[in-house]
Amino acid sequence: MDLWAVVPEMILAGLALALVPIAGWARGRWRSLPAALALVGLLAALALTAPMLMAAPREAFCGTYAVDPFRAFYQLVIEAGAIVSLLALAAHFHGTEQEAQAPVALLMATVGGMGLAAATDLGLIVLFLQMVSFPSYLLVLLVRSDKSAQEATLKYFLYGAAALAVMAYGLTFLFGLTGSLNLRIIGAGLVGADAAWVALAFGLVLVGYGFEMTLVPFHVWAPDVFQGATAPTSGFVSVVPKVAAFAGLLRLLLEALPHGLIAWPVVLAIVAVATMTFGNLIALRQTSLKRLLAYSSIAQAGYMLMAVAVADRTPDALPAVGYYLVAYLCMNLAAFTVLAQVERMLGNDGFDAVRGLGRRAPWPAAAFTLALLSLAGIPPLAGFAGKVFLLMAAIDGGFVWLAIIAAINMAVALYYYAVIIAEMYFREPERREAVALGLGYAWAVGLCTAGTIAFGVAPRLALSLAQLGSVILR
Amino acid sequence: MLTITIFLPLLTGLLVLVLPRSRPDLVRWIALFGAMLTLIAAMVLWAGFEPSGGSLQWRMTAQWIPTIGASYDVAVGGISLTLILLTAVLLTVVMVYVLGERDRAHAHAFLFLLLGSGLIGLFAAQDLLLFYLFFEIGLVPMYFIVGIWGGERRRYAALKFFLYTRAGSLAMLLGFLALYLAMEPHSFSLPAIIAAKPLAQAPLASALVFFALLIGFGVKLPIVPLHNWLPDAHVEAPTEGSVVLAGLQLKMGGYGLVAILLPTLPETVARFSWLLIGLALVSLLYGALAALAQSDMKRLVAYTSINHMAYVTLGVAVAGVIGSAQARQLAINGATFQMVSHGLLTGGMFLMVGMLQHRAGTREIDHFGGLIGRMPTFSGLFGLLAFGSLGLPGLSGFIAEFQVIGAALQLSVWIAAITVLGLVLATAVYLRLMAGTLMGSAPQDAKPLSPLSAREAWSAAALATLSVLIGILPMILIAALDGNARILAHF
Repeated sequence: MDLWAVVPEMILAGLALALVPIAGWARGRWRSLPAALALVGLLAALALTAPMLMAAPREAFCGTYAVDPFRAFYQLVIEAGAIVSLLALAAHFHGTEQEAQAPVALLMATVGGMGLAAATDLGLIVLFLQMVSFPSYLLVLLVRSDKSAQEATLKYFLYGAAALAVMAYGLTFLFGLTGSLNLRIIGAGLVGADAAWVALAFGLVLVGYGFEMTLVPFHVWAPDVFQGATAPTSGFVSVVPKVAAFAGLLRLLLEALPHGLIAWPVVLAIVAVATMTFGNLIALRQTSLKRLLAYSSIAQAGYMLMAVAVADRTPDALPAVGYYLVAYLCMNLAAFTVLAQVERMLGNDGFDAVRGLGRRAPWPAAAFTLALLSLAGIPPLAGFAGKVFLLMAAIDGGFVWLAIIAAINMAVALYYYAVIIAEMYFREPERREAVALGLGYAWAVGLCTAGTIAFGVAPRLALSLAQLGSVILR
Repeated sequence: MLTITIFLPLLTGLLVLVLPRSRPDLVRWIALFGAMLTLIAAMVLWAGFEPSGGSLQWRMTAQWIPTIGASYDVAVGGISLTLILLTAVLLTVVMVYVLGERDRAHAHAFLFLLLGSGLIGLFAAQDLLLFYLFFEIGLVPMYFIVGIWGGERRRYAALKFFLYTRAGSLAMLLGFLALYLAMEPHSFSLPAIIAAKPLAQAPLASALVFFALLIGFGVKLPIVPLHNWLPDAHVEAPTEGSVVLAGLQLKMGGYGLVAILLPTLPETVARFSWLLIGLALVSLLYGALAALAQSDMKRLVAYTSINHMAYVTLGVAVAGVIGSAQARQLAINGATFQMVSHGLLTGGMFLMVGMLQHRAGTREIDHFGGLIGRMPTFSGLFGLLAFGSLGLPGLSGFIAEFQVIGAALQLSVWIAAITVLGLVLATAVYLRLMAGTLMGSAPQDAKPLSPLSAREAWSAAALATLSVLIGILPMILIAALDGNARILAHF
């Protein structure tokens, strides 16, 4: 057995199971215990995953699980995202019943995401995709009495179940064509297979990943869910499942559908255009900030998909996706966390909630501004370097038109980010409330903002990690 | 030393941010002090600059993103150095001007100082990605400056400015990426790209890159029809914002045309020179005619910027197409001289208009008259700057326009003739402005206007003096610019 290879996952899964009864028993002050334990567990997992970036690629568990730098990198990103989300969640639900329950679901989803980045077996892929999805549904429904959360969860669940079913159906074609569940064997076996069947399988499988990645047209759930859930949950759902799905899709493409088998670069490029354009255009018209950030995160997925499309054409593509995911994690979670602080204090997430925030709460407003500028790709913030890498990968991969469309999109996107900033700084406040305070919020926003600035000023910090992480077992 | 000059304003800005909220005066003085230190540092650079030496001096390089071949690479040629000095001068002038005013002093000072760092870094950057980085650092603070301290329609103007420039800069970024990918091995190094001219053999690709860069720089310059943001931004910006916007930010585009577009794609510039010349002439006439139609002084000065900066486009176009290296050098010299001159004169004009508005609460020409008697110091400075702007010999504007027209004359008499027509229109604009404000008699209901305060007089006088200085002794500037222009002219 290769149990050592999966120590981080084991720790988190074990901890999540152990926390189930603890979360049930915890009362009063003890309610913060699960979050504290989860934080320790996540930090331990992070520390144990880090050295694996350097390890030579190999397979474990009879070829069903890849232990390569690619997996280690994406697991690090997922763990980091989970840590920040946990901090924000714990602060958000401090003193309520949900405080003890949230960490359990969060850990489960994290383990699912981590597994998805490593799975090289069709069965495991389905399993881990479920594992990242179901706890996410629970997180959305944390406040059970909330009507909009109920509706959001139902939507999330129905769409998710359908997408996963379609995807599983697609995976059976891959099995049927090659007689194997193993991605690499499938990759070898598909050579000479009927292209129409492979394309059909690819199309069906894309539905599942596209659901998690919020690609158009599988994104429909995202705005409702992001709006219905509490802001820290929306932050988590906008990052961790997405990172996991990107890792999973990349692994599937590179291992099982190598170049020339089907025209996936072109298909993904078109999906990328649809995703970024749709996300940006709809975001322009939003009046709820959570909804706006939901469409923004759809658009961001479109940008990243550019580099996924050229993943086997240029060696720069994988580091570009990796770097962008790190940047995206920092800026998106910072934005959602500040939004959580605003929402908790005022109980709404309309534009008027942040009006004059620059005066009411200078530091959270500054952090929010930096996050938005980074999402818009303004240097020297992480989102800028990330966009440069993505555009470069697209041009280098032969998709100049894609890069041009993406640049136009980025110019359009600036509008809605700038409008939020204008609300915060160019208008006089109508309300006097600042934002909800809490150590968890402060740490989450602080870490993310530090990352946004540091990775932007010195991109090589994260880029060299992403480069290490581009070694994939093929 | 160059790196110190670049980051001095930013460091001062960060220092200002941590000062106590209760001491706005301290903030303003520290900000002024930081700007003056920057000016001194820029003068040290100038003193140590060897005009006849190689083109790039004070060079400093460090690795930035080694995996993609982007580096922190800064150096100055004559053109860069002059514009850096101009930045330091205007930054200091602005800090003097705002000494007594503006709420939210911390944010105000920080944004201007950040802007200063962005501009100095931009003029010094020898790496395209670094250039882009500083380009946008120069952009964001202005968004806030217009949006927070601007006039009635500030939110609209700030957003429009931000979107226009950003759309342009994204086009520019794509152009840079194409240049980068065309280099073997891939590199963002500007000197290396100028030496290699990677797209010389690819007509389609080089045309695309040309247009991408032209859009990026043209929005900033601004070239008609990309100028639409400019009147709104200028009118809504606070006085000191307009000064920096006109005096420095427009130079980002001009500098890009002269120092990046022309040397990296000379053949393509030559191929599309007819287009550039056409755009320049249209901008020239349009700017002057539109200015003539304005009754709001700030709007008037804003439109004359379009007219003035068209000489930069024209200079670059002429330099790109004309055969003789000497004429090319003349054109480039004229274009860069115009940037400096316009920075001083138009910066000064915006200051003066701001002073009037501060006193009278309006910028309508009709509300003024007979200022010569009522505000003599103001009128003297105002007249001097206006005469400089209309290109009177002895002042800096004349030298610049003379050089560009001289070079254009060698290309075609017609171009020169239309240019002179633009010049005549611009003269009419300024004469009308002066006639309406300085001369005549004050309107019936005119309130008495207080004379200029010392800080106001100092800030405008500094700019007027510099304009006179380089107008009478242009060689002090040309000596530095010439070496650079000669190298650029021999592509």
